[in-house]
Amino acid sequence: MEKTLVVIPSKCTGCGTCKLACSMVKGKGEIIARSRIHIHTTGPDSHVQTTCLQCVEAACMKACDTGALVRNVETGAIEVNADRCIGCGLCEIACPFGHMHFNLQTGKSEKCDLCGGDPACARFCPHGALEYK
Amino acid sequence: MILRIDGKQIEAKKWDTILSAAKRNGISIPSLCHHDALENVGACRLCVVEVKTSSNGERKLVTACEYKVAPHIEVFTHSEAVRRSRQTTLDLLLARAPENKLLLDLSRENGVESTSYSTSPDANECILCYLCTRACEKMGCNAISAVGRGQGKSIQPPFLTVPDACVGCGSCAAICPTGFIEMIDMPSKRVIWGKEFERAKCESCGAPLIPVAYREWAIANRELPEDYYLQCQECKRKELASKFSGLGVS
Repeated sequence: MEKTLVVIPSKCTGCGTCKLACSMVKGKGEIIARSRIHIHTTGPDSHVQTTCLQCVEAACMKACDTGALVRNVETGAIEVNADRCIGCGLCEIACPFGHMHFNLQTGKSEKCDLCGGDPACARFCPHGALEYK
Repeated sequence: MILRIDGKQIEAKKWDTILSAAKRNGISIPSLCHHDALENVGACRLCVVEVKTSSNGERKLVTACEYKVAPHIEVFTHSEAVRRSRQTTLDLLLARAPENKLLLDLSRENGVESTSYSTSPDANECILCYLCTRACEKMGCNAISAVGRGQGKSIQPPFLTVPDACVGCGSCAAICPTGFIEMIDMPSKRVIWGKEFERAKCESCGAPLIPVAYREWAIANRELPEDYYLQCQECKRKELASKFSGLGVS
């Protein structure tokens, strides 16, 4: 793994640009709630962004029995191979951090794949609160 | 090994089927019952292609999802025989599910506007592709199968009673290409195959989760700590965020 998506909550203003960028890149932008990055307001003027941690020993991968979750050796991201996903939804409930998303419309799981090595959230964050380095 | 598909030379692995080799090389062959994670059964007949083997030059129609590649075979995915076969298949599938959008779109793409057969009065959208039964088998539950024969054949739980083996995971509904299998998620229960499954609740906020039976099944069948299954997505994320903020990072 060469690069990591670094979250810098102290710089986050909670503007939501990362969520918008994610939903635009990963969907058609119509459902921001389906963004794969989330912002939590933890106090006055205090925000924390959370997204998939790309765990080394990932619960989602252990829950998946069809080989639909594969680690991309170049980016280090765990990616969903939708062609192998049978829609059991177990990865979603197994993720201890809540970052696996089951899409009821397609019957497939979705997750952060670091946009294949150029994460849109980091690219569009106007405050430098997300860095891919 | 090298083979030719529609005149294009492609490289295939020895375990490839025509369908998998074609897909990897960007050649699209329509199919409804194929799934990369499940065993191929050749149920829908839509992926039929014509194969010419080098030995005798004979051409025959085969299902691309089941036919293992061999060196120097020639495959035709758009020949007249393939086109006719595909149209007949779609005509027959439409007779089973005349209103289905997916089938109607596929049929129109292949030059079939509507079915030429009479449709069954109790037509439903099940095209007997067996994706659901294979998904159920993959989960290790084997709770549904084909019941009956001939025109009345349908996918059902045995004796039309949902067995305890069904834990309400919903894979069958998620994988069904035509939307025939209905799963209704209500705040307190999930209904599938006519059976009601009580839904577990997030222990932090009370939001509905997967069925209790499915959670128990997951605990027994996956090597993950039990407490991974106790909270909803939102609460798990909030907990992670508050841990981060507790570290003084925000």
